[in-house]
Amino acid sequence: MRTIKTIIGLGFMAAAVFMAGGQKQLPPEGAAPKDFVLPPKETFALDNGLSATLVPYGTLPKVAVLLVVRSGNLNESENEVWLADLAGTLMKEGTKRRTAEDIAAAAAKMGGEINVGVGLDLSTVGGDVLSEFGPELVRLIADIVQNPLFPETEIERLKNDLRRRLSIQMSQPQTLALAKFRKILYGDHPYGRVLSTPDVIQSFTVEKVRNYYRKNFGAGRSHIYVAGRFDKKAVKKAIEEALGGWERGPDPLIFPARTESPRAVHIVDRPGSQQSILYVGLPVIDPSHKDWQALQVTNAILGGASFLSRITINIREDKGYTYTPSSQLSWRYRDAYWLQFASVGNEVTAPALKEILYEIDRLRREPPPQEELKRIQNFMTGNFVLQNSSRQGIVNGLSFVSLQGLDPSYLSTWVQKVHAVTPADVQMIAQTYFLPEKMTIVIVGDKNKIEEILKGFGPIVE
Amino acid sequence: MQKLATWFLALLLIIPIWNCKKSGPSFSVPVEYHRLDSGLKIVLSPDHTAPIVTVAVYYSIGLRIEPKNGTGFAHLFEHMMFQGSKNLGKNEFLSLIQGQGGVLNASTRFDFTNFFEILPSPKLETALWAEADRMKGLVITPENLTNQQGVVINEVKAAVHNQPYGGFPWLDMPQYANENWYNAHNFYGDIQDIAAATVEEVKAFFKSYYAPNNAVLVVTGDFVPQEALSMIEKYFGDVKPTDRPESPDITEPRQEKEKIFSKDDPLANKPAIAISYHMPARFTPEYFAMGLLDQILLQGEDSLLFQALVKKEGLTGNVGGGINLLGNMFNYNGPMLWTAYLFYDSRTSSEKILSVVDSIMQDVRNKPIGPEILDIALVKIRSALYDMMEGFYGFGRADLLACFALFEDRPAEIYLLEEKLRAVTPELLLKTAQEYLRPANRTILTINPKGAGQ
Repeated sequence: MRTIKTIIGLGFMAAAVFMAGGQKQLPPEGAAPKDFVLPPKETFALDNGLSATLVPYGTLPKVAVLLVVRSGNLNESENEVWLADLAGTLMKEGTKRRTAEDIAAAAAKMGGEINVGVGLDLSTVGGDVLSEFGPELVRLIADIVQNPLFPETEIERLKNDLRRRLSIQMSQPQTLALAKFRKILYGDHPYGRVLSTPDVIQSFTVEKVRNYYRKNFGAGRSHIYVAGRFDKKAVKKAIEEALGGWERGPDPLIFPARTESPRAVHIVDRPGSQQSILYVGLPVIDPSHKDWQALQVTNAILGGASFLSRITINIREDKGYTYTPSSQLSWRYRDAYWLQFASVGNEVTAPALKEILYEIDRLRREPPPQEELKRIQNFMTGNFVLQNSSRQGIVNGLSFVSLQGLDPSYLSTWVQKVHAVTPADVQMIAQTYFLPEKMTIVIVGDKNKIEEILKGFGPIVE
Repeated sequence: MQKLATWFLALLLIIPIWNCKKSGPSFSVPVEYHRLDSGLKIVLSPDHTAPIVTVAVYYSIGLRIEPKNGTGFAHLFEHMMFQGSKNLGKNEFLSLIQGQGGVLNASTRFDFTNFFEILPSPKLETALWAEADRMKGLVITPENLTNQQGVVINEVKAAVHNQPYGGFPWLDMPQYANENWYNAHNFYGDIQDIAAATVEEVKAFFKSYYAPNNAVLVVTGDFVPQEALSMIEKYFGDVKPTDRPESPDITEPRQEKEKIFSKDDPLANKPAIAISYHMPARFTPEYFAMGLLDQILLQGEDSLLFQALVKKEGLTGNVGGGINLLGNMFNYNGPMLWTAYLFYDSRTSSEKILSVVDSIMQDVRNKPIGPEILDIALVKIRSALYDMMEGFYGFGRADLLACFALFEDRPAEIYLLEEKLRAVTPELLLKTAQEYLRPANRTILTINPKGAGQ
């Protein structure tokens, strides 16, 4: 029975129910979305191999500059885990021309900050400032990446920050799950090393940092992106002048990962844990494969499209087991894995896992209805438009295409390719890539409470 | 179909947002303000940069004001707004919007609960219809309530109980720093309170607060105002107003004595500390001065606290915080805290950290801040304001417009912020620091780590 809010509403609704036999009003459809066109861009290269892309965009008077270098945790050896992170933070501690305080003050005067990011394949140095400071920001970033001092005086403090970060991450259940999952998939490959150790951090020296920088930084493996509102001529001139003299440097390391994932349940014991963190996933094809878009659609049907996704509807909206279940395709250079995540109560750990596996199996058994697929495709293409409607989003998309070495038409044809995926394609993808015998299951939780109920999902491994 | 008269507060305002002395480019978009007979406030602000449109409905009911025996109720109720309405069944609101390529969300904050969609611009009518539909009435069943109690309890456990530093400091600090129950209770809710909520309470809450005369509707993005207004009249025109209950007194007394607390955290490996000061009242000159003091003291690596605690003393890797940890300095309407927090090492004492903080606070209370530092703070806050407006695919601008309509009844206030910030003088900064950065105006909370890996 409906809930009635006001006396007047009661009369109105009773009449409506009587006359229309309880039929509900249908929402207005609205017109079809306009064709989405990526904003025009200009790309050029300098003689030293540095690439540059300029994208005028938006109405707000701000500009984002991001310099992306092909280096990161991939370039660390086993006893150097997080050395790339230390190099990144130490880079902001001063150049031959500027002290650390000068760098922070210069960025603040432009209305921004210098952000250094270190990932598995890429390191970035960037900022987002008021439009009029675009060229100045390019010059500041250029100085930081070319002339870092890596001062001895700051290293102990920054190593201590890394140790503190490590300690805090070790107390977070989702980080423990990720570390375990990656270790299983990648073994000794650098992608398998999520967490460092206090001893490894202790062994870092300024010499090691400088050596890492020498081997892994240079114009030839770097790309600078500028997006937003800016003076194009002045920014171009700043790029040529400030980065034209940078050495080409060594070529990037190409070190593909070989993944493995036999079906097993891995429990990371966390006594007293109030919930279980579930990671269920396996290695899949990488973004350069022709099936990538169809795989993205399949991921969206399972868990990657919020409340439209089957696993979310099942274990959140239907059963109330969890708040934020979601799946993703996580990618690195020519590498990817699929992963479903959920944080569930101890007592429903097994039922939640059962439902996740059931939904995968169901998609392997029968193609999705056309109507469901259409909603998923709309969701994906709508989100693509949103993501490409901001400075950072535009830069992220371009940087992805560049890292993966994809065809330049990748972004402009993506919407079309997603809409072309059929129900039969989805079933084929599920059958080909979502193999039950390869599902790696990681659970961080109270082992005493959950071990017994997890028998039957595969061999249990510590 | 009924045609409703609207009355205009402002027809069209196109004012450059920053009249900067320096010659930076400016930003301007039109803002229209209307009101339906039912009392529904409407803000329309077109901007054709991208083919997307934002629809946001803000109800003037926040998490401060919830039943005293029902902590977490306002937030639980937010979930019930997705469980079915007059014409949409459970889950159908979500699949309607997301299936048309939109994103949506809702959040419960100190002084409002909001619901918003960002979607391809030709789908504006779909979103307006759906928001009107649930403003007209909900279908609240015991099954749906039990289901969402399960979801919310899992949400709270994941964010607070199963997490090191869960609730620190955003959920903890208001409970220690404030005196008035409305500001000092557990907003996320005690598990037993969430579990005890009844269908009758949910229905009564809807009836009290979810009505056009307690709401503002904002549309921003790629649309034509006249067309949007017709659609709004069509779908919202017959939604009936309600008798909203009187608002309780949410004022806080002036704090006269420093308060110090500590809390054990069984999952944490490292200690943490948060320091909060009560803010000046919204939109007073001191409030804008505090916005600039936040930039000077806490925001960015050039800030005084970062330079002292991170760079000079090496006591931590970062200092977080700001005004209103559940949002920003503009989207609340009542007592508020300015908070700084950081994580440190067990071998460092909290006294050491406090002595560094104290010496900085003494400086800003004793010596006027130079005009050069004030200028940098103005540049930083201007840039931060643009970031705020762009946040979440441009939703941030709708958020500011909604708050200024809801709290000031003047959405065009968005264009006056610069003037008010520029009016702040070094003398006013000094006066503000002396009253609001007093040691007696602050609360200190430390986390004692009791985790296995310390």
